[in-house]
Amino acid sequence: MAILKVDGLSKRFKDVKALDNVTFEFDSGILSFLGPSGCGKTTLLRSIAGLELPDAGSISIADKVQTSIEQGILVPPYSREIGFVFQNYALWPHMTVFNNIAFGLRLRKVANAEIKSKVLSSLELVGLKGREDRYPSQLSGGQQQRVALARSLALEPRLILLDEPLSNLDAKLREEMRLEIRRLIKKVRISALYVTHDQEEAFTISDAVIVMEGGRILQYDAPDAIYNHPAHPFVASFIGHSTLVDGKIVSVANGSCVVAVADFGGANLVSHAPSSVSPGDVCKVVIRTGEVRLSNEKFSDRADNVLVGRMTSREYRGGLTDHRVQVGSKEIVVTSHKFCPMIRIEGDTRDIFVSIDKSAISLIVGS
Amino acid sequence: MITHSWNSIKLVFRQGTFVPLLASAIAGGAIITPVVIVLWRSLTTGKLGFSVGLTLTNYVRVFGDRDILPMLGNSMVYAGGAAALGTGLGALLAWIVARTNTPGKTLVELMPLYPILMPPIMKNIAWILLLAPRSGILNNMLQQFFGIEAQPFNAFSMAGMIWVFGLACVPLGYLFLLPVFLSFDPSLEESAYIAGSKPANTMLKITFPLAIPALFSAFVLNFLRGLRSFETPVLQGVPGNIKVFVSRVYDSMALEFNSGLATAYSIVLVALSVVVLLVYVRATRFSERYATITGKGYRVKVIDIGPWKYVTFLTVFLYFLAGIAIPFVVLIVVSMIPYFDYDTFMKFPSNMVFTNYVTVLKHPSFITGLYNSLVLSTTIAVVTVLAGIVMAFTIYRTRAYGTKLFEFIGTLPLAFPPLVLSVGLVIVFLGTPLYNSLWALGLGLFVAYFPYAFRNASGSIVNIHKELDEAAWVHGAKWRHVFFKITLPILKPAVGGALFYIFIEAIRNVDVAVLLTSPGKEYGPVTLFEYFRVGQWAEAAAGGVIYLIILIIAVSVAKFAFKMKFSL
Repeated sequence: MAILKVDGLSKRFKDVKALDNVTFEFDSGILSFLGPSGCGKTTLLRSIAGLELPDAGSISIADKVQTSIEQGILVPPYSREIGFVFQNYALWPHMTVFNNIAFGLRLRKVANAEIKSKVLSSLELVGLKGREDRYPSQLSGGQQQRVALARSLALEPRLILLDEPLSNLDAKLREEMRLEIRRLIKKVRISALYVTHDQEEAFTISDAVIVMEGGRILQYDAPDAIYNHPAHPFVASFIGHSTLVDGKIVSVANGSCVVAVADFGGANLVSHAPSSVSPGDVCKVVIRTGEVRLSNEKFSDRADNVLVGRMTSREYRGGLTDHRVQVGSKEIVVTSHKFCPMIRIEGDTRDIFVSIDKSAISLIVGS
Repeated sequence: MITHSWNSIKLVFRQGTFVPLLASAIAGGAIITPVVIVLWRSLTTGKLGFSVGLTLTNYVRVFGDRDILPMLGNSMVYAGGAAALGTGLGALLAWIVARTNTPGKTLVELMPLYPILMPPIMKNIAWILLLAPRSGILNNMLQQFFGIEAQPFNAFSMAGMIWVFGLACVPLGYLFLLPVFLSFDPSLEESAYIAGSKPANTMLKITFPLAIPALFSAFVLNFLRGLRSFETPVLQGVPGNIKVFVSRVYDSMALEFNSGLATAYSIVLVALSVVVLLVYVRATRFSERYATITGKGYRVKVIDIGPWKYVTFLTVFLYFLAGIAIPFVVLIVVSMIPYFDYDTFMKFPSNMVFTNYVTVLKHPSFITGLYNSLVLSTTIAVVTVLAGIVMAFTIYRTRAYGTKLFEFIGTLPLAFPPLVLSVGLVIVFLGTPLYNSLWALGLGLFVAYFPYAFRNASGSIVNIHKELDEAAWVHGAKWRHVFFKITLPILKPAVGGALFYIFIEAIRNVDVAVLLTSPGKEYGPVTLFEYFRVGQWAEAAAGGVIYLIILIIAVSVAKFAFKMKFSL
């Protein structure tokens, strides 16, 4: 049973297409909507919650139609039995933590004793036992976030929706909370939709990621597949940590192919061949920055995929260092670990050798 | 493609809008009716209750009135003079309190309280007792102690009108300017010092120019209040034969019973008000762009002004005497002497009596008036504030269509001087059973004070993050749960303030009520107004003191029971 089914969802705000024929299915687990601001991810989430009215398409939760423009069905948000965690937490300032969490339970006419036990157990779950009489203003940002989560979890929804819930926290707390949120959702065994513009957050928290741009789904895959096999140049550039250049397939043989890159002075690169590729096809070549080696000597152990260039700059980032090497008319970025020998490479005038592993390259054909 | 199913979906999406929309429509209807009637009647002829064909006769008569130009001039001089005096003095006091080491400035710090405690009509009565040409206390004192026979003071002159209404304009000027001086970004002045400017020069070139937009806003608002004001033009202008539009509307309606003429004058007055209101909107927008106040909340430095502090102290002290102490004392003393003339006044306290209180409290018209004003102003405060919240909720929190219209309607009465609304309601209700009933009076007060309730509620509602509503929806709340459990409780502090303000304004209202009262359906402040007009000055003063006591009780309840603050 798919917990969520979205079919042909479209929504326009004046001249902007916020959602453009969005269709996907999601079985269970944690699914992230990832994309830059304005890509439609929040509109998608709000449409699933019933807070936004799409122009066309349908949404089913647990095989029950919630929105269907074509069939004339719209279940109001208060009947969808979902949880929603808002970007600014949206804790009601005039209610105590207890009353915030009990609000939905009271509307569902749950008995008082049961409300109490559910509120307290959900507070315990998020690690805020004993804070039930506080007001939201007396809590820190991270604690407010936990209360917002507890408020949704207390209703035991089938599906919980989270709209950039960590964007108001500082960097350190954010890293802590994303693990915490994943642990909690897995513990109570419900499914979750998670909106974020931070790819690292999406990768760490979710079982699957939908990358969106301009109201369309560009890729729907597991996090590692999105990282290693971006299906669209935008996905590759949004995920980052890679150099993107135009290429043209020269030959294909035995699961490998040779691609010529004009920007690298016409150099040929060998990579794994994507399915259904033939010589003459144009493609984007994605080179992941962390899987490239640098040396000021010729590599003795390899001849393929070695480029020659000049170091243009180096950005020290603490544990990691980004090297920029000019190869042909393009700059290639190489990220090295602190202890890698390549950090010691000096000199702007000497040739630098760049060795790109076959597995560091992904090809996006037809773009 | 619009299909049946699409419409039904939209109906679901917009559900929960029907009840708020209906309530807002009823409130909107109540507001728009007198407004439309005034417009309509100004274009027709005929006696009250009948209209005989469309005509421009009324306007011809208004614009053919040879008094119209002097009247326009009077209105401008009176409103402009009072606004200049009040705003300027208020700004000066605000600067003294915020930025100087003047001793005794606490006298002014309770400024927000003074207009609450002193109803406009009481101010007029007190100052007429002081400044009247023959019987006035000050003229007689000059004669008795200095032998000056000239009687230089005249309450029934333009200068007298400007003086009394100008004093009434001081609090608004003070309250507009105090925040500007108090939370002024100190780095603006500090960078002037760094650039080589001395404190006095910095004050002149940086501090005061940055306060100009707020000063202008306060001036325009006071000007508008002057145009709309009723008590001063009728009590001081009419005896001195100084006519302004408000008193002319009142005369046409109350003395000539000519509703066409009254409404035609009203429309001229409304047009003037609209122009001023538009200027005000522009001015506030400008001052927002000029804003020097950031959310940081620093305290500005108090400047040691050396010996000048005695001059500023004198200013503060004189304002305290003229603006607050003297009118109160005069009113209280006059209420406790057998009758008002100068000699009797000067014999106080040896001739202290409470007969005026006894007379007033035995007088059925005062007792019913007092009762009606208490009941009505309480009811109207509650109803108006609730209606304002519902309308603001409909506009900002439901997905109803056409809510822009409500925004317009809700603000509309601001352009209508209360007396003009009163004229409209008289015409609406004449010949119906509601005429001569408290319903008409209640409706008038509702319409007059609705914009305050509405603007207050809108301002607060737009500041409540929409996610709080949406969080309630997704957790199972319908619109009524959202309204009663989320919106209303969060609005509580703002609701308290608006309730108090409207109660205070309504309980001492004269200009809405004056045309809508009738024997048996009196309104306290109007009764006092009538006493004063027929020369029962001591009784009027006694009634005024009774209202003063009620207002003090209201303030104390607000302060101690509802923790309301009366200083900034």
